[in-house]
Amino acid sequence: MRLEDTFLIENKLGLHARAASVLAQLAVQFDASITLHQDNKEAAGDSVLGLMLLESSQGKEVKVVCEGPDAEPALAAIGQLIAQKFNEQE
Amino acid sequence: MKLSSLTCQDCSKAAVLFNSKKRILEFISQLAHERLPHLSQQDILSALLNREKLGSTGIGRGIAIPHGRMSGAQEPLALILVSEQPINFDAIDNRPVDIFVALIVPDGDSELHLKTLATIADKLNDKEFCKQIRSAKTDQDLYQVIVEQS
Repeated sequence: MRLEDTFLIENKLGLHARAASVLAQLAVQFDASITLHQDNKEAAGDSVLGLMLLESSQGKEVKVVCEGPDAEPALAAIGQLIAQKFNEQE
Repeated sequence: MKLSSLTCQDCSKAAVLFNSKKRILEFISQLAHERLPHLSQQDILSALLNREKLGSTGIGRGIAIPHGRMSGAQEPLALILVSEQPINFDAIDNRPVDIFVALIVPDGDSELHLKTLATIADKLNDKEFCKQIRSAKTDQDLYQVIVEQS
């Protein structure tokens, strides 16, 4: 199964190191290949370095593509993490 | 932005020998204080330790990016250390860490911080770069690789 959706980065610090680590640790829990796209860049969801290369700041839209048996729960969980501002205050 | 413009020869240390997370962070804060004398070593160390408490900066593949946002920092500073023996750093992949790219960054500029992170991620994502800095024997060799490759 292949699913995708676009999410708005809402937290003040954007996809900084800690947010990228939390996302990568979430991504590895699913049996799915997860890719994030922003502008013309893309990164594997389980690569902290790749995610930091996206330079996703507050207000950017990222497209998340999940492919594999867990595509649906993976997309839901990652979408929720981004919407919850990576559990950050602001 | 280039990695070489964020660091300096005195901020590049090859084959360092420390046996714990705390010890290497103490050394990093001492180096950073020498470069940024208006920031105390204790304040730098506190910033680094506080960040680690939120979650390890060990991002996998033997790499850690300990960092602290400090209101007294004017511009980002990167300190690059390669440890002779990997150190247990509670990394997300549970692997011990031997490449440390520490950052002292100004507080409050999120865009600049993301750009700085992307600059170091770009180099650390390059396996050949990591191989070369791991095999640097002296501080000078290490700095040379950083200057040539970035």
